Amino acid sequence: MTKIITVITLFICSLISAQTQFEQGMGKAFGLWKEGKNSEASAMFERIAAAEKTSWYPNYYVALVNTTGAFSEKDKTKIELMLTKAQDALDVEMIKDQKNAELFVLQALIYTAWVVADPMTNGMKYSSKVMEAYAKAKAIDPNNPRAVFGEADYQLGGAKWTGVDTKPLCAEVDKAVELFATFKPETAFSPKWGLERALEAQKGCKK
Amino acid sequence: MKTKLLFAIAFLFIGSLIFAQNTISGKVVYEKGKPVPGANIYIDGTYDGATSSETGDFSFETTATGNQFLVVSFLIYDTFRKEIDVTNFKEQTVKLRENVNALDAVVITAGTLESGDKARVSVLKPLDIVTTAGSAGNIIAALQTLPGTQTVGEDGRLFVRGGEASETQTFVDGIRVAQPYGATTNNLPTRGRFSPFLFSGIAFSTGGYSAEYGEALSSVLLLNTQDEPDQNKTEIALMTVGLGLGNTQKWNKSSLSVNTAYINLAPYQAAIPQNVDWNNPYQSLSGETVYRYHFVNGIFKLYAAFDSEKFDLNQQNINFIDPIRTNLNNNNFYLNASYKGTIGTGWQLTTGMSYGYNNGKVKLNSSDINSDENAAQLKIKLRKNVSDHFKLSFGADYFITKFNENFNDNTSINVANGYDSNIAAFYTEGDILFSKNFAAKVGFRLSNNSLLDETAIAPRASLAYKVSKSSQFSFAYGDFTQTPVVDYIKYSRFHEFESEKARHYILNYQFTKPGQTFRAEAYFKDYSNLVQYDTRDIQYNSNFNNNGSGYAKGLDLFWRDSNLYKNLEYWISYSYIDSEREYKNFPTMATPSFIANHNLSVVTKYFITDWKSQIGFTNSFSTGRPYNNPNEAQFMNGKTKAYNSLSFNWAYLLTTQKILYFSISNVLGTQNVFGYDYAKTPDATGFYNRQAVVPTADRFFFVGFFWTISQNKNDNQLKNL
Repeated sequence: MTKIITVITLFICSLISAQTQFEQGMGKAFGLWKEGKNSEASAMFERIAAAEKTSWYPNYYVALVNTTGAFSEKDKTKIELMLTKAQDALDVEMIKDQKNAELFVLQALIYTAWVVADPMTNGMKYSSKVMEAYAKAKAIDPNNPRAVFGEADYQLGGAKWTGVDTKPLCAEVDKAVELFATFKPETAFSPKWGLERALEAQKGCKK
Repeated sequence: MKTKLLFAIAFLFIGSLIFAQNTISGKVVYEKGKPVPGANIYIDGTYDGATSSETGDFSFETTATGNQFLVVSFLIYDTFRKEIDVTNFKEQTVKLRENVNALDAVVITAGTLESGDKARVSVLKPLDIVTTAGSAGNIIAALQTLPGTQTVGEDGRLFVRGGEASETQTFVDGIRVAQPYGATTNNLPTRGRFSPFLFSGIAFSTGGYSAEYGEALSSVLLLNTQDEPDQNKTEIALMTVGLGLGNTQKWNKSSLSVNTAYINLAPYQAAIPQNVDWNNPYQSLSGETVYRYHFVNGIFKLYAAFDSEKFDLNQQNINFIDPIRTNLNNNNFYLNASYKGTIGTGWQLTTGMSYGYNNGKVKLNSSDINSDENAAQLKIKLRKNVSDHFKLSFGADYFITKFNENFNDNTSINVANGYDSNIAAFYTEGDILFSKNFAAKVGFRLSNNSLLDETAIAPRASLAYKVSKSSQFSFAYGDFTQTPVVDYIKYSRFHEFESEKARHYILNYQFTKPGQTFRAEAYFKDYSNLVQYDTRDIQYNSNFNNNGSGYAKGLDLFWRDSNLYKNLEYWISYSYIDSEREYKNFPTMATPSFIANHNLSVVTKYFITDWKSQIGFTNSFSTGRPYNNPNEAQFMNGKTKAYNSLSFNWAYLLTTQKILYFSISNVLGTQNVFGYDYAKTPDATGFYNRQAVVPTADRFFFVGFFWTISQNKNDNQLKNL
């Protein structure tokens, strides 16, 4: 009996050590991202994704790093490459799990980046897709702060020139800010971004 | 047992204790030896790796041992994968190959003008079909602002590069539409049957197209229905010419769109002076529906359209004192079912069928002409990606056409004419990508026509070469055959007709930059086997032969730009053509009456943010067209004056989902003349009198209110206008 217990213990130990390696790797990638080394961070996340097929986080961050990077990039060819990479990474996880609100929020963000890159060409094409992705995210998790905020923020962006009533949208922003306060990430790597943008939008609403 | 356990423990410990550090280093370059910065280099299955530096160099340490897979990836190159010994991989050079399927790889563009989501270079955006002034939601009218087309105002159909309108075939989701145009009569322009907004992509080929498409001498128009609508919505349109209602429902795997429209031109005809005398205005009731179902590996689409049209008018005719009364009733049904999906490894299957039924009842004074056409196509196509550098496709299709026409003058003559045509065809084509800059497509089409009792083989080939990041040359060559039009073959006896033939040579140059496209295309078309007859009109006792011939050569230029000024988009199309034919009952080689040597279109769209408005102008100009004056000795020696039409439209967003739309064609009221009809017999002094062929009205105006009801408040019908 003791022998069996020993073997099991040892086996668990090696599992835990693998978990630690994952944490270390992720930590290193986050570090690179924080330093502004986007392509290095993305590469690190990609390597982890290739080795850890069961976790959705590495691919999620490959997509997130490239999408947020695309917003500040000016070169249209680079934007196209980054967003294609983001979409490819997200697609890998989307096929595995279609009940994950965070994936839909990120999908909406990728479409938004396309719109921002070239509103004349992509505005019509992607606007309703953005809204659809947020709607799906909210259907899965109505209290996801990123879904609630993203949906309101995207419409606020459009409202500036269409003159649509911003009051209900600003109410949604306020609601999102509250949700951010109560939101508890499941793990250390769960997405937790978005509060800063929401606070900014809230300020804009009060003007 | 004990030893076994000890061994297991030892093994686990050793595995985690001994970190055999090996250094992997080298340089990443691409084909020309230039370094690739930012490539991701790693040992597959581990976290060990690095990103290459500005000089392409990399170095990292790994704890992996023995033989491992080294992976080097960079988005625009093919991923490199190689088994290496980790103790022995230092200062090595890794050469990446360019990915020939990358976004900026060369594509064959000779002859093809594309629009839509999937198009690499869109000359027209989906929205353009409807926001182009003067197009009034007619796909065909928007295409007439592109180079290679002729403005033939009294007909309305597409005339491409010296070809008759019948030489263009229309395909929906790859399957032929036998009756793409609405019903019409002598010198009244028609329009396309399809409403633009169910289609997400349009490819318009003015020559040299793929072996997949047959029975078209000049051109093919490929319309693709949307794979997926964006959302649930209801759309309402109130217009001065009628009403429209649409609804889209979306479910998990499937979706359904339905559109209906009722058009009545009575208010318009009352408001604008008409050049013809209407007894009953043009009216139509139409409906379209698309059902889509997504399978795991494919998509099934069913498209059905029905329309019923009628009008009644009196037209002056130079040969008769009293006007001729035409009373027309036309019913048309079209069904198209298709499946597209993947099977096995790397195979793509496309299959489908179409059925079109057209029934026309025309009363010309006291005579009745009733016609019935049943047309179907069955099609299957397989495509295999043999490698990144070679794609093979092959397929077969079968066209069935049954046509019957009955003429009864209600006194003495009562005759029936008709024909049954079956065409079986097979085609194969290979796509070869020699490199990212050089591609070729080679294929042929083999067809057998039972009515003509002939078998024909038509080779097709095209090449494209990219000379720089933004410019490329393409060349296309092809043989094309088509069964003579119904006007002839309804009199066919004993396989007396042969297919008409054309050979195309096209040289294309294209320059693209974000927001800018320039195309120049030179072509030569050689026609042979055209039908000739020896009577004044086509009739049952004419002597027909296939000895006619002709040519068309010219230059098409296109420039589109959206960078010049913020919120302004414009394009300019210019076509020069020189074409002559000896066909029909022409006594000599001559330029047919539908050809103008120079055509120029300028289309502009300007969005005024402060006014929440989009304003557009379109100006179409063409030089005079030839006509035959029997008072002169030389055939087709007359020339009409030049044609010009300036159109204007204005879309105003009341709110994002409510749009007010206004458009007017030929703002300047230019008195255009399309040609002249001469009397069949001279008057007492031996002079042939004539009558000008003019538009039914000098202007067309349109006011509409469009309202979208949907969850997403940003969506609207701007794209439907």
